[in-house]
Amino acid sequence: MAEVIRKKRDFHHISRGWNWVLNLIAAVFAFLCVFPFLFVVIISLTDEKTLARDGYRLIPAKWSLEAYRFIFQTGDTLLRSYGVTLLVTVLGTLISLILISLYAYAISRKSFRYRRFFAIFAILTMLFNGGMIPTYMVVTQLLSLKDTIWAMILPLAMNAFYIMILRTFYSTSVPDAIIESGKIDGAGDFYIFLKIVLPLSLPGLATIGLFSTLGYWNDWFNALLYIENPNLVPLQSMLMRIESSIQFIQQNSANSSLSMTALQSIPQDTARMAMVVLATLPIVFAYPFFQRYFVQGLTVGAVKE
Amino acid sequence: MVQFFRNLAKNKVMLFMVLPGAIWFFFFSYLPLVGTIVAFKQYRFSREGFWASIAKSEWVGWDNFKFLFSTDDAYVITRNTLLYNIAFILLGLILSVAMAILLSELVNKRLAKIYQTGMFLPYFLSWVIVGYFAFSFLSLDRGMLNQILGWFGADPVQWYSESKYWPYILVIVNLWKAIGYSSVVYLASILGIDKSLYEAAMIDGASKWQQIRRITIPMLSPIIIIMTLLAVGRIFYADFGLFYQVPRDSGTLYSVTNVIDTYVYRGLKTTGEIGMSTAAGLYQSIVGFVLVIVSNFVVRKMDKDSALF
Amino acid sequence: MSKMKTRFSFVLATLLSLTLVLSACGGSKESAGGGSGTDGDKPVELIWYTIGTPQKDVDKVMTEVSKYTKEKINATIKMKMIDWGDYSQKMQVNVASGEPMDIIFTSSGGFDYVQNARKGAFYKLDDLLDKYGQDLKKTIDPAFLSGSKVDAHNYGIPANKELPQQEVWRFNKNLLDKYKLDTSNIRSLDSLEPLLKTIKEKETGVTAFAMDKNYVPYVPYDYIIQNLPMAVKLDTTDYKIVNILETPEMKEALTTMHKYYKAGYVSPEAATTGSTNDLMTSGNWFLDRAQTQPLADNQWSASYGYPVVSTPASDAIITNTSVQGSIMAISANSEHPEKAMEFLNLLNTDQKLRNMVDSGLEGTHYKKVDDKHIENLPESKNYDMPSYSLGNNMLLYLNPNDPDNKWDEFKKFNSAGTNSPILSFNFDGTKVSSELAAVQNVKEQFWAALMTGTLDPETNLPKAIEKFNQAGLDKVIAEAQKQLDAWRAGGGK
Repeated sequence: MAEVIRKKRDFHHISRGWNWVLNLIAAVFAFLCVFPFLFVVIISLTDEKTLARDGYRLIPAKWSLEAYRFIFQTGDTLLRSYGVTLLVTVLGTLISLILISLYAYAISRKSFRYRRFFAIFAILTMLFNGGMIPTYMVVTQLLSLKDTIWAMILPLAMNAFYIMILRTFYSTSVPDAIIESGKIDGAGDFYIFLKIVLPLSLPGLATIGLFSTLGYWNDWFNALLYIENPNLVPLQSMLMRIESSIQFIQQNSANSSLSMTALQSIPQDTARMAMVVLATLPIVFAYPFFQRYFVQGLTVGAVKE
Repeated sequence: MVQFFRNLAKNKVMLFMVLPGAIWFFFFSYLPLVGTIVAFKQYRFSREGFWASIAKSEWVGWDNFKFLFSTDDAYVITRNTLLYNIAFILLGLILSVAMAILLSELVNKRLAKIYQTGMFLPYFLSWVIVGYFAFSFLSLDRGMLNQILGWFGADPVQWYSESKYWPYILVIVNLWKAIGYSSVVYLASILGIDKSLYEAAMIDGASKWQQIRRITIPMLSPIIIIMTLLAVGRIFYADFGLFYQVPRDSGTLYSVTNVIDTYVYRGLKTTGEIGMSTAAGLYQSIVGFVLVIVSNFVVRKMDKDSALF
Repeated sequence: MSKMKTRFSFVLATLLSLTLVLSACGGSKESAGGGSGTDGDKPVELIWYTIGTPQKDVDKVMTEVSKYTKEKINATIKMKMIDWGDYSQKMQVNVASGEPMDIIFTSSGGFDYVQNARKGAFYKLDDLLDKYGQDLKKTIDPAFLSGSKVDAHNYGIPANKELPQQEVWRFNKNLLDKYKLDTSNIRSLDSLEPLLKTIKEKETGVTAFAMDKNYVPYVPYDYIIQNLPMAVKLDTTDYKIVNILETPEMKEALTTMHKYYKAGYVSPEAATTGSTNDLMTSGNWFLDRAQTQPLADNQWSASYGYPVVSTPASDAIITNTSVQGSIMAISANSEHPEKAMEFLNLLNTDQKLRNMVDSGLEGTHYKKVDDKHIENLPESKNYDMPSYSLGNNMLLYLNPNDPDNKWDEFKKFNSAGTNSPILSFNFDGTKVSSELAAVQNVKEQFWAALMTGTLDPETNLPKAIEKFNQAGLDKVIAEAQKQLDAWRAGGGK
């Protein structure tokens, strides 16, 4: 019997020729997705003068580590930006997990009398918003968050969409019976949430957490609007100032051994690309380990109540 | 009333749980709504800050909107926003479902996994980074595309000032960034389809193509509908990063790269007319809202369970 | 149903009262600060927004500055710098949103002085100037104070510096010397060609003609609003406002620019380049255009760390733009306008304060060579400030190579300038504000690409002109012409 099924399975497979073609298509597309990153790595390793003469080449005539040497000499600026991004990402993810998981849990409980009201309160925000300018005014005037790391954290902390994903997750993966039995044992709502619901919904939390980590790491818009203090500039917005990024890192570096005259050999173009590489590297190394949670996010969210 | 407080007390733990989130929504979503009345005012500064300024500014009715519609700006940005989003949704859907089916058919699952991981990378990168990537290809004197054109003896193209290429460039860049992710999502659903369905079909002698058409795609349709609906709901909102970072804010490209979001931002930046910019933002909110309601209504007619609300 | 309603309104009421409490907290804090503004014992903190790349040591220097000002006028200073490219935009938003601030840098170019004065962004200074600004009035060239009046009121204190505006070509002297290039016959845009050609051929990796997207070829016209295509010819007799794009001079200049662009003298990305900072830092440029002042070469060389020389590209003309080239205004929402005025008075008259703001701390950022000259120390890169935007220039210490009579040279330069025909005419755009906004939008699309030579003017100039007209430029010009005629009839005041 088992033999027969395997045979059928084999028959289920596509022919060798087709397999070859499909493999090729997938491989080419996958390569195209990775290629620009590799290309930028190559550019950052090109010699500055060669680059000026030949343009961006796949195989440069002369390689050089000068760009990275320059960046590490002025390393404290880049490091500070890394620090800001890291702090914003970690704090932001934590805060948004706390806010979202609590809110989603409350509106997922049938025993909560006002669940419908608060569910609608959240959903409405997906439909209608005040736009950039009024939001800006609230953040800077009413909350006085300008030029603080909170201006990069709070505006991204909540999102009705994540709440809906997590609510669905709770109601599908945390059986009511468990909660009821907890209640019978005399446990309070908070206790149940902490000790029973949270552990059961770790995969859902991980998904939301990773989405929000990614959101914080890649955010530049809030910094563009709210940050003026050069010590609070995150990685992405430092990269945004394409034409003055080199000046920025050089000026804000504590390394005063870079005297005025030595500056004229700055590998300007390659150093910018090197910064792009350094800003992308953590993501490139980390995402393969987390990718399945991102898939889970949408598949979980898609299964509605 | 007594009953009301009793209810409140009974639900106090739950209320406490939603409180932080509700406060957030109040400040970051509902309060800005109040601010949109600037769209109907000629904004003038006042000593006591923004809210007092609003209160003291003169009502001008629809004047701020008149500015928007007096030129063809409103038409151009609306057209760009809608057409790009429609292209993204349709092409994205077709290509990512195709890619998902393709990946699911590969014999060597290890290789399939590696392809998937590769395709997933762009999703994780910020638009700032993608902007640099695009630049490495499109730069006039150094970019790879012009070098390739050079090999064929063609003249270099001024990518950042020739608007005719940009509809394609923007669509390609957007698909490049999004397909990996969505195809992996579809793939996960395909792998979840009951294998016995395919076996039954094969016993009936169904070809591969028939299996895909009769089983895979129908089984995928709920998630396709959800993902499409989500996208349609946002059809009046453009991805600011794509339209701002990738074309490097080049003025000559505005006719094909200006979308509502970038328009609002630039309005604030160049003219400083708070009222007019807010008016453009309000226009976006209202039309966007109508579109969501309509699309949700349509989906509700088709398939009640898939509707958003 | 009614129950549901009560519930809803209850929640809303709770949230609303919460905001009230919150905003009340915020409010009371502010008013507590405001109370001390009336010459109490507690020093007042003045917030000062100024233009320039934020410098690392600003807070450090301002601490010292504050010690000094506290003693003199019982005020401390908090300086906030905003980068060149972002200044107009961020200040636009800051002012609109009522961000607390006392002193604002404004000019015809960055955060437009006239328009914002009209919008009510600045405090009317007439009385304050009489009360606290007597010393200041004596030191500043009266042409500045009269030229910066908007509708007959003063809204800001102009920096005492060069009065006329003169364009120059700047050269990276290292490269001039290397190829033994001669600049004595350089004046027009066309005359640059042989030099640009040499550099392009012999130096890879050097931008021959450096510029950012704000570059505009020089033509002998004065603009009604800076960088909008309405202008009056400098030697005009009929005071006719024309669309600058329709003038033969501009057409010719743009054709030359396009030729240079095609030849590769100009960076291919010029039209989208926000600043040339990195080029200046790295020295990878040969020539650019800038506005000069007497002995500017010394200053440029000192700040870049390599020699820079320049030759004139235009006459020295006194225009609204030059008179309003650097102004410090007091914010309309300032809590302490009197103190701010006292500070401005001090800054423009007190040599010690003015130099501290400009060069930082003696012994850290600079050292004195003699009683007039100073030399930058390596740390000065952490406090490299633009001198023009920070008040009276004529109090400044001199660079090592400056002659002792530098400020006399300035005075000579100032008296030698010729007046623009429309000097002190300020256009009021409120009647055509939606047309102006539309014209702005068209400008954003075409301006940079045309001016940097990226686009071929042969085909694109007519297109741009048509777009401008569609946006209502004729109507704006007609309104401006009406105001200009009325202004002339009223004796040009």
